[in-house]
Amino acid sequence: MKLKFAFLAAASAAAITGTAVADEYVIGVMSAQSGYLAPYDGPAYAGFQFCIDEKNAAGGLNGNLKVKTIVKDTRSDIAEGVKVVQEMIDEGAQFIVSSADADPTIAAAQITMADNIPTMTFAGTAPVLTQVGPHVFGSYPADNQQGAVLASYARDQGLERVWLVKSPDSAYTLGGPEYFGSAFESLGGEVIGESLYSLNQPDFSAIVTNIKAADPAPDVIVTWAWEPDFPAFIKALRGAGVETQVMGGDVLDTPTVRGLGEVVDGVVHTSGGFPDEGSAYADFIARFEKATGTTPDNNYYVNGCDIANMIEQAVAAAGSTDPAAVSAAMAEIKDGEGVMSNFTFAGTDRMPLRDVVVAGITADGKKEFILRSTADPETLPKP
Amino acid sequence: MISTASALPLETHPARLAAANWVRTAICILLLAAVVACLTLAFGRTGERIAVQLCVNVTAVVALGLFCGNTGIVSFGHGAFMALGAYLSGILTMPAGLQRTALPNLPDFLAAHELSVWLALPIVAIAGLCFAAVTGSAIARLAGASATIATLGLLIITHGIAVGAREITRGSQTFFGVPRVTDLTIALGAALVFIVIARLYRESRHGLFARAARDDPDAASALGISPRRTRFVSWCLSGALATVAGALYGHMLGAFSPASFYLSLVFAHVAMMIVGGMASVGGAVAGVMVVTLLQDTVRQFEGGAELLGFVFPEFFGLTTIALGLAILLVIWLRPQGLVGSFELGPGADAPFLRRIGRGTKPANDPEKVAETMLQARSLSKSFAGVRAVDDVSFDVPTGRITGLIGPNGAGKSTLVNLLTHQYDADAGKALINGTELTKVRREAVAGKGVSRSFQNLRLFRGLTGYENVLVGSLAAGRSRQLAAPVAIRELGDLDLGEVAGKTADALPYGARKRLEIARSLSQDPSILLLDEPAAGMNPAETDDLADRLVRTSEARGLGILLIDHDLKFVNRLSNWIVVMNRGEVIAQGLPEDIRTNPSVIEAYIGRGRTAAEAQFVPNKTTRVLTVGVDQ
Repeated sequence: MKLKFAFLAAASAAAITGTAVADEYVIGVMSAQSGYLAPYDGPAYAGFQFCIDEKNAAGGLNGNLKVKTIVKDTRSDIAEGVKVVQEMIDEGAQFIVSSADADPTIAAAQITMADNIPTMTFAGTAPVLTQVGPHVFGSYPADNQQGAVLASYARDQGLERVWLVKSPDSAYTLGGPEYFGSAFESLGGEVIGESLYSLNQPDFSAIVTNIKAADPAPDVIVTWAWEPDFPAFIKALRGAGVETQVMGGDVLDTPTVRGLGEVVDGVVHTSGGFPDEGSAYADFIARFEKATGTTPDNNYYVNGCDIANMIEQAVAAAGSTDPAAVSAAMAEIKDGEGVMSNFTFAGTDRMPLRDVVVAGITADGKKEFILRSTADPETLPKP
Repeated sequence: MISTASALPLETHPARLAAANWVRTAICILLLAAVVACLTLAFGRTGERIAVQLCVNVTAVVALGLFCGNTGIVSFGHGAFMALGAYLSGILTMPAGLQRTALPNLPDFLAAHELSVWLALPIVAIAGLCFAAVTGSAIARLAGASATIATLGLLIITHGIAVGAREITRGSQTFFGVPRVTDLTIALGAALVFIVIARLYRESRHGLFARAARDDPDAASALGISPRRTRFVSWCLSGALATVAGALYGHMLGAFSPASFYLSLVFAHVAMMIVGGMASVGGAVAGVMVVTLLQDTVRQFEGGAELLGFVFPEFFGLTTIALGLAILLVIWLRPQGLVGSFELGPGADAPFLRRIGRGTKPANDPEKVAETMLQARSLSKSFAGVRAVDDVSFDVPTGRITGLIGPNGAGKSTLVNLLTHQYDADAGKALINGTELTKVRREAVAGKGVSRSFQNLRLFRGLTGYENVLVGSLAAGRSRQLAAPVAIRELGDLDLGEVAGKTADALPYGARKRLEIARSLSQDPSILLLDEPAAGMNPAETDDLADRLVRTSEARGLGILLIDHDLKFVNRLSNWIVVMNRGEVIAQGLPEDIRTNPSVIEAYIGRGRTAAEAQFVPNKTTRVLTVGVDQ
């Protein structure tokens, strides 16, 4: 029965290809509402749904294609993710937005591969995740782009010797500093030392002692550590009297890190975007605040909204909702218009080239814009 | 219920138990099959997927429970086996082209096998068995909480290795391209096979030994069972199964990373096991089903729903909250888990099994034992400077009941522990027919013909009366066919037929005391050491026990060392009495000589009294009044 229905649907879809698109575009969203991915999936889903609702109110994608979202909680559990993706496909999902990490995205992409259903991660930044197939997309600037932009900024500041602090426990905490190191070296800098830590390691004094004893001393320390590791590390470092410049990844772009006080004064980090006054991003924040009463205090909200924009533009370019056509059109987008920043998939392996912002934290806990730049695809460290 | 049980003949107990065990296995299988059938028939493909996940979880939790349930040690280390299985099976089955991209630096011997899952699984199981044997040789040495911590250490080490071995595992990055072949047929088939294996193991010789050692390691080793060995065997089998379960899990996911097998997965499985009941296979199955069904039901309401006219708002996190509450409730209301400490299903005394008439004939009384002599020679033992046993020598020959008396704290129980090598002697030795018991392993003492009971009851609480005695009989080295008739004989001899199917915990005190003796006798010992067998018994029970001991001793010709401070009881039974006080032998001889020995009277009653006075001290609680009462 179901199979028959599917045949009918496929046949009728084929019949109207090229003319009007179907009435409704079904997007499945796997969103971890608890567990380690919740801090990223939650805001990303809120931003995504907000912009989808805005578009639906205006007639749908491109003004004529209403979107129906199916959202399912994965509890950050990969087995649960596998299950809900299949459920969403059963329920007719034509596009899958997956959790903000490589594991669930790749697991989902292996399932969507059979039907070529385009699959885009909320905020997974490990460049490897698109290796599964031509239907898998990133949305956030990848780790290697962030590493490359930050490295080029560091070199511009005249910094020469970097000490990397990384954790093999996750692709992000391991990959970010390594991409930085490789870009830094190709720009003439030198990696003089590395330390490894474990996620949720309470004590960083051994690492700090090593850094303090290094000869020659590093003039910059780079880590992609997140909370609570980063606060523990920076407190130990500054407590030991090491005043070396510290740079980090976009996970430092949170109010709690900025609230750490003078220990984070001068810390520089990457970010996906910056709400300059009068920008589309600032406008998004105002609209979102007005509608929901919540202030989007990180980039995942706006990136969620940009996923809606990417889908809209891919569907428009494909001229159809056929999954393979949407995938192909998405991969060819060049300088598509986004709220956080514009995005280019053409010429990449489907991790979009986007502006990376470098920002600094000030003594009074504010975020300070430093520069905005796009990584050079030629010198981008290979995943 | 009790009257039904008493009507059932003891001889048919083994056959009824075997039938009940198959029924219990069938119940586990039917339960799982019924839930899977309901899910797939009622909910189509969604239900089928839940069923696949459920079955894979059943394999993992049954494998986990095989170790935890039989040894009583909670393991957090099974995530290590699952990771091994998932990665190894993934590498062996991965398409070669994809493997070259995803794992460019894979060592040659692992690369490009492209096996089918049916070929990969046996290899995975063997690898798991080897890994379990290596890790088990260390972990099986530990018991209780320290073993649990060691398993946690294993998990952490394995996780670290998986993260570090980047050529093989892609490190902390996602390992992908694993064929997603775990469908309902494979998952359900594996779950059923695992249930049968776990059930067979649980009721097998090794499973019974493991559960005996779990309930009381000292009593088990006194019967000749090595608790360490039972833990090792359970660990190996459980590890091999968990490795296969991990492979199935990996083939269900298709992509995973070391974190997929780390604490959250392990905690989920341990939680399922504890919710269902750790001690049984039925508990493992029930736990997985309850947790999975609860999660998947509640999940439907998370995205907002309308039910019976009520509109529920979107409420994510409900699943986690519901699961947490369920675990709290179960632990509060049923600390042993939903199924409890016993296997799901009927026991051997279930009414519908009474028609089984196939009896096991009690074994013939054993031949009179060969002449043997247990000797204590200058045994000494101190605890923190206190000489509990000081230079003690005496003999316990076969064919005689030797009484060992002395006031509380005289060192009697310590002496028994020295004779059976529960303690290491500081000096001196215990000999049986010239072999030094003080030099053989504790578990080998029983094999030398020395069996014992304990001052404080040490029965295997989780086993039935019959199983307690059967363990003793099996531990004596008999096959199952030979062990059962002996167990039936001993239960019959000690009038325990009615309690064969009841758990040791549920028995009245006197029956438990007799059961312990039956368990010792089932080993056909030459020398039986009875540590206060009459303690806590009423006079009628004491008399009854005395009669039985005399009869048994005469019929089998065995030597008994009877330790008690009930002098009347010892006097009545013993042909020879050894008196200890403050760690030393103060007298030994025929009962009539001991009764009038002034130093014995002094030790018991105090200086300046006589035996005649002692007879009239009207203080029952101290039992000293019975000194000198006629035999």
